Amino acid sequence: MPDFDQILVGEEWESTDVSLLETLDHVLNRGMVIAGEITISVADIDLIFVGLNILVSSVETAHDVLRKRETE
Amino acid sequence: MKLYAYCLCADLDAFDKSVSGVSAAAVRVLKMEDISVLVSDCEAVPVTQENMLAHAAVVRAVFTRTTPVPFRFGTLATEQQLYTFITTNKRALANKLAHVRGCVEMDLKTTWQSSNPSPTKSDAVAGPGTAFLLEKRRELVGDDQALAERAELSTLLRTELGSLIKDEKIGLGPSEKTALAKVYHLVESARMKEYRARVEELRAQRPELQLEVSGPWPPYSFANIELEFGSQFGVSC
Repeated sequence: MPDFDQILVGEEWESTDVSLLETLDHVLNRGMVIAGEITISVADIDLIFVGLNILVSSVETAHDVLRKRETE
Repeated sequence: MKLYAYCLCADLDAFDKSVSGVSAAAVRVLKMEDISVLVSDCEAVPVTQENMLAHAAVVRAVFTRTTPVPFRFGTLATEQQLYTFITTNKRALANKLAHVRGCVEMDLKTTWQSSNPSPTKSDAVAGPGTAFLLEKRRELVGDDQALAERAELSTLLRTELGSLIKDEKIGLGPSEKTALAKVYHLVESARMKEYRARVEELRAQRPELQLEVSGPWPPYSFANIELEFGSQFGVSC
């Protein structure tokens, strides 16, 4: 695991209280998202953006929904 | 082979080799147009705490040298897809990089007592579909009370910190009695100490707000761009 004391550089930043939860919150919930049809694969689960940021779903769930619609 | 993308920046030619990326992969700088993209060669990225922190570490290492525009964790694309994204949105990305240049993100959390939001008359008469959509709307943009509280908080912070804030985003998460707001400020790095000092003063003047500050962060909360495709076709993304 990276050591954040080493990552923070400069006197101003050494005293910064950067919590693990806040770091994970930034990394997971914010940041630029590439819109379009790029597949984002994590942990053997394909996450795919459908259209322009309209829906984010696992491919499996999306297939389930489509299958259910077809049978209705 | 796919590329795992960490962040974009305007002016970086090389990356510190001592900092490894997700799954301990090497990190390299890919130049596309006038933009540097920090990437690792990678086919898949397990969702582990180690990988999330590795993503954060790469972005922060760049942050010590220039202001990056971070990608969200888990961004995998082919080189062609990345190239298409950058060339398609070149103007918006250049504007974004210029907007955050020399800035840091400072985060404020504040809590205060809130009156309990009650269902509106229209909620009571709505069918299940309408009620569902109203609830979704509330989740996304907040109810009227939350919007009013957001505006009030924004006004207060702009009054107190106004000249130090280049940009601001506010998220409210009202619970039954206590409202929690997360406020993200884009601040010029040269004025960060001044910002912290002003927040300390505000915390002393308004203890009921229970202000907590953290940062400096790379500008994660100011990273997304208005897609040029969307703006051309009148779609808000």
